[in-house]
Amino acid sequence: MTFYEKEVRRIKEAIYKNQDQINAVIAVKNYINCNYDKKLNLDLLSKIQFISKYHLLRLFKKYYGLTPRQYLIDRRIEESKRLLKAGTSVTVTCFGVGFESLGSFSALFKTKTGKSPFQFQKEQLSRR
Amino acid sequence: MKVTVISIPVRDQEKALKFYTEILGFLKKKDTPLEGGNRWLTLVSKEAQDGPELLLEPAPLHFEPSKVFQDALMEAGIPWTQFDVENVDSEYDRLTKLGVEFSVKPTKMGTVKFAVFNDTCGNNIQIIESI
Repeated sequence: MTFYEKEVRRIKEAIYKNQDQINAVIAVKNYINCNYDKKLNLDLLSKIQFISKYHLLRLFKKYYGLTPRQYLIDRRIEESKRLLKAGTSVTVTCFGVGFESLGSFSALFKTKTGKSPFQFQKEQLSRR
Repeated sequence: MKVTVISIPVRDQEKALKFYTEILGFLKKKDTPLEGGNRWLTLVSKEAQDGPELLLEPAPLHFEPSKVFQDALMEAGIPWTQFDVENVDSEYDRLTKLGVEFSVKPTKMGTVKFAVFNDTCGNNIQIIESI
């Protein structure tokens, strides 16, 4: 066994022992993946897995390195890029991926990608 | 500042180009001749052609410490870098059929699944999937 494999085993044993916790956060992540376009919040997510919401927040962050909220935003931005590339209007995209206001969508999109959704779409479509 | 280039040390640029494009599926982006037969050779992934470029750099041939470091990582089984894939199991099957050798078979750890293969150019490369 290589040094790397030994290290992987050691780390797995040290921090990834609790498979129930891991399964719970994976289930929450999968739920977000399938329902990112709906209204989601920590209360709802914690009810699905019967975990208190602050515990869920800590666990999700521990195993994914992001809060569920950050993960959801990234998922929505990724999906919105796909829609914008396909020519969907900015407004339809915004509500289609679950955002509730065009202003907050545009601002978040710009923070995450460096461009406004309008600029992004213009650049993508002009490449065709 | 932007991340545009990720360097991978290789012993033979032409061989590396073949492996990374024909087996792994990257696309050649830049190929500029430099002195002494060396090239500025970069690749991008098919799915993200405006994303960061992989630079196949012949450093181990020209800078001894690079060779020493690369050999030590290879010996220890430590990946030089890692690439995201949709599905580690299917990529493992596909690459195994093409004759790629894996030092770590698909393994779950926490919220990821990964595997490690030999790039035939002096490096271990990890592929990883978030689960």
